Amino acid sequence: MAWIDYAYWIALLPLIGFVLELFIGKYTYKRGGLFANLAILGSTIIALGTLMDVLGGARIDVSVPWFYDGIVVGYLIDPLAIVMLCMVSFVSLMIHLYALGYMEEDPDKSLYFAETSLFTCGMLGLVLSNNLLQLFIFWELVGLCSYLLIGFWWYKPEAAAAGKKAFLTTRVGDVLFLAGIILLYFNVSHLPEPLSFRYIFSFEVLETIPPAHLTAIALLFLGGAVGKSSQFPLHVWIPDAMEGPTTVSALIHAATMVTAGIYLVARTYPIFMASPNALVVVAVLGGFTALFAATLGLVVNDIKRVLAYSTISQLGYMLCMLGVGSIIGAFAVGYSLFHLISHAFFKALLFLCAGAVLHGLANARDLREMGGLLKKMPVTGIAMLIGALSLSGFPLTAGFFSKDRIIETAYEYGAATGNFLPWIFILVAALLTAIYTFRLWFMAFTGEPRSYLAEHAHEASKIMTTPLIVLATFALFFGLAQSRFYEFVGANFDSHLIEELAHLGGYHFHEAHAVPFIVMILPAICAIGGIGIAYGIWYNSRVDLSKYISKDNPIYKVLWNKYYLDYIFKDLIAERLFGFVALLAEAFDKYIIDGVVNAISWIVIKIGSVLRKVQTGVVETYATAVVIGVVLLIMLIGGVL
Amino acid sequence: MVGPITLILLVLLTGAVITLLTRTREQARVVALISSGIGLLIAIKMYLTYVGGAGMQFTESVSWIPSLGIGYNVGVDGIGLPMVILATLISFLCVIYAWGEGNRPNQFFGLVLLMDMALVGVFASLDFFLFYIFWELTLIPMFFLIGIWGGPRKHYAAIKFLIYTHVASVAMMLAIFAMYYFNGAATGTYTFDMVYLLDAYSKGVVSISPLWINLILGGMLFGFMVKMPAVPFHTWLPDAHVEAPTVGSILLAAVLLKMGGYGLFRVIIPLMANPDASTVFVLVIAIFGVVSILFSTFVALAQKDLKKLVAYSSIGHMGYISLGVAGAVAFGASEVPRILAETGAMYQMFSHGIITAVLFGSVGVIQHATGTRIIDDLGGLTKHMPKLAFIMLAGFLASLGLPGMSGFVAEFAILTGSFSQIPIFVLLAMFGIVFVAAYHLWAIQRALFGPYNEHLGDIHDIAIYELIPLAILVALIIALGTPNPICSHLFAEVMQPTATHILSMLPQGGLL
Repeated sequence: MAWIDYAYWIALLPLIGFVLELFIGKYTYKRGGLFANLAILGSTIIALGTLMDVLGGARIDVSVPWFYDGIVVGYLIDPLAIVMLCMVSFVSLMIHLYALGYMEEDPDKSLYFAETSLFTCGMLGLVLSNNLLQLFIFWELVGLCSYLLIGFWWYKPEAAAAGKKAFLTTRVGDVLFLAGIILLYFNVSHLPEPLSFRYIFSFEVLETIPPAHLTAIALLFLGGAVGKSSQFPLHVWIPDAMEGPTTVSALIHAATMVTAGIYLVARTYPIFMASPNALVVVAVLGGFTALFAATLGLVVNDIKRVLAYSTISQLGYMLCMLGVGSIIGAFAVGYSLFHLISHAFFKALLFLCAGAVLHGLANARDLREMGGLLKKMPVTGIAMLIGALSLSGFPLTAGFFSKDRIIETAYEYGAATGNFLPWIFILVAALLTAIYTFRLWFMAFTGEPRSYLAEHAHEASKIMTTPLIVLATFALFFGLAQSRFYEFVGANFDSHLIEELAHLGGYHFHEAHAVPFIVMILPAICAIGGIGIAYGIWYNSRVDLSKYISKDNPIYKVLWNKYYLDYIFKDLIAERLFGFVALLAEAFDKYIIDGVVNAISWIVIKIGSVLRKVQTGVVETYATAVVIGVVLLIMLIGGVL
Repeated sequence: MVGPITLILLVLLTGAVITLLTRTREQARVVALISSGIGLLIAIKMYLTYVGGAGMQFTESVSWIPSLGIGYNVGVDGIGLPMVILATLISFLCVIYAWGEGNRPNQFFGLVLLMDMALVGVFASLDFFLFYIFWELTLIPMFFLIGIWGGPRKHYAAIKFLIYTHVASVAMMLAIFAMYYFNGAATGTYTFDMVYLLDAYSKGVVSISPLWINLILGGMLFGFMVKMPAVPFHTWLPDAHVEAPTVGSILLAAVLLKMGGYGLFRVIIPLMANPDASTVFVLVIAIFGVVSILFSTFVALAQKDLKKLVAYSSIGHMGYISLGVAGAVAFGASEVPRILAETGAMYQMFSHGIITAVLFGSVGVIQHATGTRIIDDLGGLTKHMPKLAFIMLAGFLASLGLPGMSGFVAEFAILTGSFSQIPIFVLLAMFGIVFVAAYHLWAIQRALFGPYNEHLGDIHDIAIYELIPLAILVALIIALGTPNPICSHLFAEVMQPTATHILSMLPQGGLL
């Protein structure tokens, strides 16, 4: 018996957890949480066991037919899948443990655990899908859970609105993704399983697809990733999604679901490799989002929203890595995934710390109401410091290694192709990241308490601080796994195949050149410099910020209004434009279409007014007439016999 | 020994008569429950013994009026049988749902049973004359359900429904007579036998001028498009729904509309196979489909009445059936996507039936509990109606095409299958997907979530007899949307062979 043969239980166990929590959860130990935690513990164990098998060289790809020829369901375990499975199940387990404390008082606790359990099922199922249709189904399932969990406190109007916004914004991306799947199916419908990765990922198949179609497919998939992974310009939903419970933000909107978009691009990397120009778009878009979101993170005062913007920014790094990877080939997947996983550790950690802060401050989220919390909640404070260091890319933390590799590759990409844009974007973003992250930390944990709540804050319980310590350990030391990880995941796709496909896409691989020393240490300088700047401004108060923070400062105003994108999308396009179209359609329906119908009937009635006397208006009379008519008809016809 | 189809018809007819004669509500509903239950059980038995294949099964043929070539011919194939199941299932669940009906219960339940019988008759008839009788018979119970148990403007709505759909039926009837006549004149055999006539016309055996075959096709199409309904022939539907009692709406949307879709598969595609038939009809059907999808979506966005919103969602979903049929008959190099599109359209017929029943059922519960359906007057209903909120949320998510539920399987098959043949139409339809999600979520957010509207007072959650049928339907929606034998069997074993068979009547590669 090998673990890998039972790998589908990784996704199935949380499904069972969901059903049990939903129906009998509230009658069990402490009104819920037991089944979900046990199920995800089981998933984690199987995932780790399977990891051992995969490290030993085992692979599996099984399909069973579904509703149509070639439409299948199945599961695929390879290095790319298993590292994701391990990360998702482990981080989910930590957050579920934490939630036992965090959601302890909630009246709908069992429903909460049912939904997060279903989410975990969806995320794990997404990762181990071996075909695009199944991946899409789980993709939507996690979107559904995100919708339900953002709106978990449904009686709060902001939460209900945020859930809807998240669903609709990602839906735009989902439709693009679906269009990509349909376009792909159109090109390969002759294959035994047209949507299964093992059939699509071959030179012979991709070669037959016209290059324009390949680029369209890749960009449509990218559209899906942009929605799910909250990249520019569909990033607008994540900050609002912070209305959900903080554990949900940690699980769904930081560590796992939002990485699904990155995973999709990584999973379909052979298609991107074969698509002319698609990876250039990926590189520039990812880099731009990294910088764009970082600028927004500078001005927000809501502790969770700062972290939300940092998530968008870091996802931009991962996407950018896959894009600039067009010069190195298959290894790019390993580099990108390494940042994805180290990000999952430190970002889950940061959100859980933020949750502990909220818990201690009666749900106050405004940084201006905090201050001096390090003394009140030392464990949370230190854990958050570790998370912040890792996020900033402080040397020797996990985030340093993973981010450094991306910035360096982006430089090599610039050197090779002349396009330095991605490198400049993410380098500046690295500086800003350090600044806003430590702005958050200094404002929350140092100085004097700035509110009654902050003066009376208290440390969280053991069940909440234990996961913090575990995640902090990973955020510090995961970098040690670096080279082994690159070899393992970087070899996920056959490098020979990727090289062949790169010819189709017109990408050229370059041998790694020696990067100038100054370029090598630039990321570290950015990180340390950024922390220094934040120290100067928010700890030592050497700069009087009130001069800059005003509505008269145009830069501040633009940032404060989030570049007006929310206004354009929601007010102008969604409400005004389409609201107007809807009213127009309704008026057309009512007055033109139905008007014609009523006009015709009016004319007929006028003509037939002579017959009007027959019309008594009593339904029974009509009934009698109809019945008599039918009987007469049958008798008449029968008489012909 | 009578066959199962005749048995269902007899059981329901007898049940209807007995129910009408009962004196108390108790008797009426028990009789109705038993007879509709027997009808459903027979239908399920048929489904379980159905052998996957192309031809008609459970056929019975009795000469009725030989001098006119009219026979009592019944039988079902992979599209007729699921529709028979749908009709008997929905009627049975309607009887449970209406358990508390106090206004003239004997007539109410009697009409539901009569409706059930007429619908089974439509989907199982293999003789055009018989088909037409059942087709018209469905109007009568619906007319009374709206006219007696309806809302304030019930008379206007009932008459509009009756006249509008009746005009369409007349067009269909004339087309039937024309088919009957031209075949008789050409071959000397005057018959209403559906299988024979459609076979003759599809092969072009009957010599007929292009003008006449196109008139026949146009008349039939008009009849079916009004019934579906397709924009712009849809305005009877929202009025009928707004005034109809909940059970009437459920039967109307879940089953009655399917008569139009059924006609596309059973009659329109074979007629289009006629060598003289104009291929423009492919485009006409595609345009009906896409316009219905997009137009209904934008009108739904502007609705304030929850029930009207749901009514417009039906029009959009039925548009997918037209789209799938157009995609299946249009020219394509490969059979694989065309059969997928056609089977998807058939699947949508069943799927929409069970989804829309949940939607109308939930709206009915809300109206019953709060006395209003205006979305802005609701709000935070989850507080007092958590069970209803769960059911309604599931129904709305299914309706917006969420994967894992039956609607997605159908829509995915239709869109994916049609893309190679009619890509522009598919892209236009996909444009609507986001807006479909928008009006569903908007309605859910305003009605169920947010702070509770205290003006509504202290309201009760869904009654148990309303919950059971809706919960059964939700379970079925999920069963038909996830990988499991029930879903695969219906799609691949029951519907697909019939879809393949129907498409095989068309010239190689399709039309246009």
